[in-house]
Amino acid sequence: MTALASIAPRRLSKAATASGRQRSFAASCGIYLCVAVFAIWILLPVWYLVVSSLITPAQLGVKPFPMVPGSITFDNYLSVLTGSTGSKGFGSTDIGARLLPAIGQSFFVSSVLVVLNLTIAGLAAYGLSRYPFRGSRLFELSIIISRVVPAIAIIGPFFVAFRITGILNTPWALIVSYNVFTLPLAIMILKNYFDQLPREIEEAAKIDGASRLQTLWIIVVPLARPGLVAAGVLIFLEAWSEFFYSLVLTNQLTVPPLLAGFQSVQQFNWNALAAATVMSMIPPVVLVIIFQRHVVGALTAGAVK
Amino acid sequence: MTASSLSSNALTRDDRRFGFRLTAPAGILLAVLLLVPTILTILYSLHDVPANGRSLGPFVGLENYTIVLGSSVFWRSAWVTFLFSVGFVVLSTLIGLAMALLLNQPFIGRGLARALLIIPWATPWLMIGILWKWFADGSVGGLNAVLLMIGATSDYHDFLSDPNSALAITIIAAVWRQASFAGILLLAGLQTLPGDLNEAASLDGANLWQRFRNITLPWLRPALVTVTVLNVIYAFLQFDVIFAMTQGGPGDATQVLSILIYRQLFGVTQIGLGSALAVILGFVALAGGLITVKLLYARGSQPA
Repeated sequence: MTALASIAPRRLSKAATASGRQRSFAASCGIYLCVAVFAIWILLPVWYLVVSSLITPAQLGVKPFPMVPGSITFDNYLSVLTGSTGSKGFGSTDIGARLLPAIGQSFFVSSVLVVLNLTIAGLAAYGLSRYPFRGSRLFELSIIISRVVPAIAIIGPFFVAFRITGILNTPWALIVSYNVFTLPLAIMILKNYFDQLPREIEEAAKIDGASRLQTLWIIVVPLARPGLVAAGVLIFLEAWSEFFYSLVLTNQLTVPPLLAGFQSVQQFNWNALAAATVMSMIPPVVLVIIFQRHVVGALTAGAVK
Repeated sequence: MTASSLSSNALTRDDRRFGFRLTAPAGILLAVLLLVPTILTILYSLHDVPANGRSLGPFVGLENYTIVLGSSVFWRSAWVTFLFSVGFVVLSTLIGLAMALLLNQPFIGRGLARALLIIPWATPWLMIGILWKWFADGSVGGLNAVLLMIGATSDYHDFLSDPNSALAITIIAAVWRQASFAGILLLAGLQTLPGDLNEAASLDGANLWQRFRNITLPWLRPALVTVTVLNVIYAFLQFDVIFAMTQGGPGDATQVLSILIYRQLFGVTQIGLGSALAVILGFVALAGGLITVKLLYARGSQPA
């Protein structure tokens, strides 16, 4: 409010014209021009990707790139889905055939992590929020700091440990290692959420004789559902997007390292890669757009007052 | 209001033990998965580790660090990391702020525009790298087509194999994603700005710039601080986009530290050296993290 003090004293005569309610025609034009620039900035690369996935290699070879193609085809999608891209990679099977299994593995890894993390992080976040103990502040601090530990600084020991235990190149290697970044994220979001939940109902339940665990399960979990959904979507998104651990600890088991692998195979053309990329982008983008409100709310609760 | 049994000063010793037990599984998991590997990597960095990684090898003290800090490859990579980070942080924050301000104005189709903002953020980093690698491609790319169409260039240009433009293109690709993230956070901050504050100011005769400078910007400061520091951390740790687009090339034009470490550890399997590099990167990022924490607490201590 101190900022307002520097502004010139009120002049009522100017009030009507200076009011922000009415926008001039020029200002409107300016805004719609900016909106157009914004839409182009976001959509141009996406449009390029989608068009690439819908045209033939012959059309792709035309200069300049046909931003509005004369005809479209779904052959690229079909060839990836049926494993007939004509690219053998190093083995004898078509590498396009690996996309669907990789999408399946990505779903499996991400879903298991969501369930595991919501349970473990939910308990921890509730404990930190309602029953702080000696050292809980330090624990929260280390969780924030853990977000900046580079994956590359801790991947070596994981590699060695997983080779010894024999889970290298299995989904479990990822389910274990992804906790490094998903668990702190989930704890931060849920702690934030619990802090905002009113405590009165829990207190009433306690007076009625409910144990602490009963209160948590019967009262708090249903109340915290929006926060749990948001945390779940964000865990899923992070796990789905993760590239580096999966690159090092598995043989292109999940989608991101597989797509990177497609890129390094010479005969694998951009049309097929574009189709594979579109299919791999849809799950996270759709998920986030569906739960937009929850996710953005949870994301910003910590960052914005 | 009656004394709350759940407020922290009324907690019994048993309550605190309960909180500890709830947190223990997460604490143990993170200690095993984060603390132990971190300590091991620090140990590796102090030894001449054999390429198979089966043993620590002979203890060499800080030799790995002196080799790293004395090598021109490291300093060249640190410089590239610095350039990438400055471009990434400045552009992501500014474009994010511009997008948030725009999407906070009333216009037809605003809901749709806000949904568009989500797309780059929800797209996995690696796929952003793939998308932009091909978008900027010298023969089938869309960027060249557009530049040609609007008459900005007269011929196709292979941006990613040109050392002068490769880094700039990787920065733009990463900014494309991160500006959306910044925009989402800043837009949420703007939406909590009470409208009558601006109205009162304009009644007082404040023009658009004065209102932005004296009301909007101070209001957004906490969110801007958070966004900027998050951008700094993302900048230092960026790997996926550059890996997908250039793998550090052409030459070493885009070889940021994380790519250099990857090559040391998995290309030439210099585990000791790579670990020392990783520890250095960790410290740089940690410094960023500590600044985050410090700023967050400085903000928390301010009244409302």
